[in-house]
Parts: sequence; structure tokens; C-alpha cells
Amino acid sequence: MRGRKATPVSGTNDGSGYDSLRLDRTGQAEAFDAIGDRYDEAFPHKEGQVGAGDWLIESLDPGARVLDLGSGTGVPTARQLADAGFEVIGVDFSARMVTLAREYVPTATFHQLDLADLRPGGSRDLGRFDAVAAFFSLLMLPRAEIPLALRTIHHLLTPGGLLALSMVEAHVDDFEIPFLGNTIRVSGYLLEDLHKILDTAGFEIVKENSYTYAPATADVPPEEQVFLCCRRRD
Amino acid sequence: MTEQPSPREGPAGTARRGGSSSGPAPVVPLGRTPVQQMDRLQYLDVATRRIARGMDLDETLRELRWAAVPAFADAIVIHLHDPLPVGDEKSAAPVVLQLHSIDRAPEARSALLMPHAEYASVAERVQPAFAGRLAKLLLAGRPAFGDTPGIHPAVAELLGPAASAHGTLPPGRRLIIAPLHGRHHVMGTVVLLRRPDRSAFTTDDLLVASQLATHTAIGVQKAVMYGHEASVADTLQHTMLPSSLPEPTGIQLASRYLPASKTAQVGGDWYDAIPLPGSRVALIVGDVMGHSMTSAAIMGQLRTIVQTLAGLDLPPHEVLHHLDEQAQRLGSDHIATCLYAIYDPISHRLLMANAGHPPALLLRPNGHAEVLQVPPGAPIGVGGVVFESVEMPAPTGTTLVLYTDGLVESRDTDVGTGVEALRTHLQSTPHRHRLSSLERLCDRILTALAPGPRDDDIALLTARFEGFPPDSVGYWHLDPHPLTAGQARRLTRRVLRRWGLDALLDTTELLVSEVVTNAVRYASRPISLRLLRTDVLRCEVTDDSPQVPRVRQAAPGDEGGRGLFLVDRLAQRWGATRLSTGKVVWFEQQIPKDQPIQGS
Repeated sequence: MRGRKATPVSGTNDGSGYDSLRLDRTGQAEAFDAIGDRYDEAFPHKEGQVGAGDWLIESLDPGARVLDLGSGTGVPTARQLADAGFEVIGVDFSARMVTLAREYVPTATFHQLDLADLRPGGSRDLGRFDAVAAFFSLLMLPRAEIPLALRTIHHLLTPGGLLALSMVEAHVDDFEIPFLGNTIRVSGYLLEDLHKILDTAGFEIVKENSYTYAPATADVPPEEQVFLCCRRRD
Repeated sequence: MTEQPSPREGPAGTARRGGSSSGPAPVVPLGRTPVQQMDRLQYLDVATRRIARGMDLDETLRELRWAAVPAFADAIVIHLHDPLPVGDEKSAAPVVLQLHSIDRAPEARSALLMPHAEYASVAERVQPAFAGRLAKLLLAGRPAFGDTPGIHPAVAELLGPAASAHGTLPPGRRLIIAPLHGRHHVMGTVVLLRRPDRSAFTTDDLLVASQLATHTAIGVQKAVMYGHEASVADTLQHTMLPSSLPEPTGIQLASRYLPASKTAQVGGDWYDAIPLPGSRVALIVGDVMGHSMTSAAIMGQLRTIVQTLAGLDLPPHEVLHHLDEQAQRLGSDHIATCLYAIYDPISHRLLMANAGHPPALLLRPNGHAEVLQVPPGAPIGVGGVVFESVEMPAPTGTTLVLYTDGLVESRDTDVGTGVEALRTHLQSTPHRHRLSSLERLCDRILTALAPGPRDDDIALLTARFEGFPPDSVGYWHLDPHPLTAGQARRLTRRVLRRWGLDALLDTTELLVSEVVTNAVRYASRPISLRLLRTDVLRCEVTDDSPQVPRVRQAAPGDEGGRGLFLVDRLAQRWGATRLSTGKVVWFEQQIPKDQPIQGS
């Protein structure tokens, strides 16, 4: 889900590429704390996301270790993957979302964390994963951080590990939009740019689906959703 | 009765007997006694009061005819100026007199004017010759006897063939021709005739005729003014309402306006439907309190304000907020109610805010009808009130019913009962009508809920949601950048291919590129590109610069400026609208007819 932890603005110096960045999460997690369950009401149709989850289920061995990055309410992805018998660990930066996810998907483990905490040498190490699902979560980052986030995911995956990624197609950077009565900042790439970034980050694209999605709310305009099924190249 | 031209004979002799008697009325030669004078005054008193009572033209002239025949004359021929002059305006058009009516006593039929009991021989339409005898008579404004020297040509001019044949007109002073003269204009003429066997008119009778003509002219003028006022009010009301509703894709619309029953009873009800970016539609119904020309005038102003605010694409509660502010500038004592809704056919949602208006109803395809629960808010004009937008699903096939209180409230019914009656009526709509034409639904509603005469006007607006599948839209935010036009072109190409609209590819790409290039030049925040496929292909480019572009012819060598010129030449329709957050430039292209509908 669209979720990251509200980390205070901080500089980092750990050689992972985050050095020069100020990680500004102001208001982002708070927005999702406020949105809570309404997120799933506004986005009731999850065919694309469930389809990408199915791809993971088909492609992974039973008992595989899967990270749900930006797990939101845990529905549908963490639940779908947990029900498939995987060891599911979800992270989200919104405390409210983590609480909801723990309630809805008791068979998975959830942490209130920022993706940046998981970078090589970061403050938390959750181990390595056979797959990462990142549905509409990387778009909450400024564009400068997205390649770094993909490097982090690369680092968290075992060689040949899978990444199921979804984004909203756009060409914007840290762009404020009204969202379910709140304001959030989002970034996006056009499809061809996203392909290049994934390639640079060491992923090959196995398959891809785009949908026009009209949220069930007058507040969020229709969006082009892109689901990419990728594999860590090395 | 034999011909006895006696100047001393008055109307009193025949007056009250002539009407019912079948034979010639006996006339007792009387001197000009006080009694006779009294009779004449009494007659005039009754006659003028009757004439003055008439509210419209026909009533006034009917009273004149009844007062004149048979008491005063045996036949009366009335011509009216056509068209009747209104107010003090001088008309350059030549005077034309149109036959209005003829009345005659039963015994006069064979003897006078109408040998075949028909009027055919009386001129229907007379244009008095310039400076002719009739024109002079009209101008002079005084009644004259038929035997006045030189008057015959005027009578012949007015009555036409009927007057020209020998013996058709009664002999002696048995004809009076009286102009109907208003304040500034000739309104028409009255010809009074007596049978040859009845006593001739006296000079006093000429004064009576003058009185009758004067009162009639005043009555005609009054009726004309009154009718004019009613039609002004009516016209005002109607020009304030939409002459036709737009026909946006994704929604069907039908409306009715019923004025209050009393003539010249003007109302302040209005309704509107305004297309918004993204194929959304604003639906509005409102009601200015009171029934007067002022209500209608205020309504017209409020409707314009709402249209302007709607054009800015503000959410419903903000439209009502600004409307409330503006309304207070129109004066402190104008109160109105208004309901403002936005239907989005892509998200299948309805957004609604209310300012003291009766609630809207929703009729679902399964027959369930519900009263929409939106906080009622305070009426427009109260000031300082917070309005609230409520969002709700608007599934395809659902019908929204907006109306004014005239439909649900009357002397015998309070609003709550009326709304429930409307809901029950909608719920009982037979299945075959639920999806039949909205026009029929409107008629059914009005027949059931407003069958008879009413004290209040009624506005009714119905909207059936048709919706679009999500795949009929493409939507992207794009950072303004020198490469944005190229990005927009590639996105357009991809989506048009997905929709199987290859035939429109080249033109659309070119136009999108031009419009995006313009937008990027002034935008400081990301622009948005929206493509919509319905029965047309619509492209919308939104940016945050409020400057609305105008078409101009680019000079040779100009780098820019050709963009909108091309759009104007190549698109079927296009437009640019100022929004609260900037502007949107849109254009539409016809989708080729044989194009198979594709898409997921």
C-alpha cells in the first residue's frame, strides 16, 4: 500500500546513496493514519494487484519469505500471500495502517518502518527475502529516492528474487495532490522511464499490465496503474 | 316602427325591451324629460361599470357589446388596431384595423348589415387611406353620425362591401361611428347601428356613444397593458431558464418548468445542467423566495452566478459558499434555496451540497427510491453558513430527481409529506417506465404530484446516469518540461492504439502536442492530460496558469501562436475554460462511425 513511516527529516551518511538526501516524510504517514480504512473503500477493485500477487504465488516455492513493502491495511496482498502459505512480513510507515493490518491479517508480521531503515547498513535488518511486493508504495517517495529504494529492494532480495511493483503512471516529483480529504506528495514515471530505472537497478521485467483505474471517489482522479512483475538479475 | 327621425327620442324608449321582443319594439315618443335624462344616466352608469370590469381585451369588448345591444343599438361592429399599441411608444407602421366582433339584436339580423346572418360582407381588415376621411375621423377622436356630411366614405372604408350596396345601411341618424382613442393611440373603432324601424340616435345619444367609446378605449388600453405585463413577466421567467439542456455524454437529462396557475404570477424557480471537465456535469435546482418580477430577476442573477462558479470547477459546498456571498451583494432580503450536485460518469460518484432546498431523490434500476440524506444547510442569502459536500455512489441506470417545493408542498401538504409522496410515487414506477425515457418520467411525476391548479411554480430536473467504463479514460500528471509535449504525444499514441482509434492518431497527436506545448509554457506545477473516449474523442489539458489562450493568426516566422489556430481548424469542437486552479483547454474529434468499439 501507499505507506512509509514518518521519519523525522534527517541526513544520512552510510554510503548507500542516501548521503546527500534529506528524507522528508512530513505529513505522509499522518495522512495515511487519518485515511485508515477509507483507503480500501476508495480503491475497492484490486484485480491488478491480486493478479500480481497471483504471479508471486505461482512463481515462489511454498514457505517462501515475502516482504510486503507499504502493506497498508494488509488487504488484499499480505492476506493473499499469507493464505498461500508464505512467511509474510509487512512494513508500513503509518502506525494506524500497521494496527489495522495486524488486526486483518494475524498470520503475517507487521512493522512500522521506513524503507530507508532497511537499506544496507540501515537501522533495521529483517533478513533476505525471496520476493518483495511494493504496491503503490514507492510513489510516496521523491523521485531522487526511488532508484535508491529499488537498490534497497535489490539488496533485500536473494539472487533471482522477485519484485511485484505497482506505480501510477505520471511524470511528477514530490507532487502534492488532494487524496481522500488529505494532501499527500507523490512521484511517478512514465512507463518507458520506469523500465530504464528498473533496468539500472538490476531488475528484468517478466511481465507487465496497465489498467486505467477510476477510484470510487470524486476526490481522486482516474489513474493509469502499472503492475510490473520483475526478477532480480543477479 | 316607422322612421321617425326625432332628435328628442332617446335610447330609453327601446332600451330595456328590445332584447327580448321578437317584433319591432314599440316606441313611445317622449319629450326630453328629466326622467329620460335620468334613464340615460342610469344606463351609462351601468354600462361603463360593466365595461370597466373587464380584465382582458375580449372581456372588455364583450361587456361593451352587451351594454350596447340591444339597449342602445341593434348592431355593433368593433374593429381594433392591429397590433394594439403598447404603452406610449409611437409606431411608424400604418394604422391597420382588424374586425374584432359583431353583435346584433335578434330582430336586426334580417334587416341590417347582415342579409345572410353572416359577417362575410364586413371588411375583416382595413387599412385607412392616408389622409382619407376615415383616417381624419380616427385622428379627430370624436364620434360622428352616419349622416354627417362627408362621413359616408369613412363608413364605406371601414365597413367595406357591406356599406357600399344600396339599402344595407339604415337611413338617417341610425349609425354612429366612434373611434376608440387611448391616451396616445387610436385603439380601434366602434360602429353602432339601429334598425330602420327604431328611432334614430339623438345628439344626447352621440354623447352616450362617446362615453361608451372612451370607457372602452381605456379598458382596451388597460387590458393591453396588463397582458403586456404578464407576457413580460412570462418572457423574463423563460429567458432566465435554459432554453435547452446540454446533451453531455454519460448522462441523460430532462426538465420541466410549470408556472403558477395565476396569470402574471411569476416565480423564482430555476434549474441548470453545466458540463464540467472530465465529462462531469453539474446539476442545479434553485428557488428564490417570493412571487414577483423581482424574484424572477434575482433568480436570473443567481443562475448566472452559479454558472460562473460552476465553470471554475469548484466543489459543491464552495459553489454554495460563494453564491451565498454574492447573493448578499444583491440585497439583504433575497433568500433562495439551492441544491448543487456534480455527477462524475467515470468514478460513478455523485457529490452534492444543499442550501436549504428540499432533498433530492434517487431512483435505482431495481425500483428502490430513496431520499438523499444531505445536510440541508441554510438558504442562500442568510450569510456566514458552512455548507457541506456529501459524496455518494451513482451507479449506472440510477435516476436523480431534483425539484422545487411547488412539487411537494401545497396548502394541504407539508414538505415532508410531499417528499414522501414523491418517493412513494417513484418507487411505484412500473419497471418498464424506470428505464424508459426521462421525458415520460417527468410527465408521470407531474401528473401524479401536481395534477391541478397550483399556487407555486414547479421546476423539475431529472438525470439518468449512464457512466463510462474506466477504460474510456486516460489520465496523467506531467511535470512541465521541454520534453512534456513529446511525452504527451507518446501517451496519446499508446491510448488511441489501445482504443483502436488509429484513424485519429496523427491529428490527435499533433493537437495534443500543440496544446501541451502552450500549457507547459506558462505552467509552474504539473499539467494534466486527460483523454476520454465516448461517442467522441475528447482531450483535456489542464494547467495551473489562469491565462486563457485566444486564437491568433501566427505571423510568418513566429515560433508559437499556431497551436490554437491548428486546434481551431482541425478539431470538431474546442474550448478553454478558466478554473479555480488554473485553466483547461479541451478539444473533441468525431470518432469515425465504422470504428469498432475496442478496449478491455
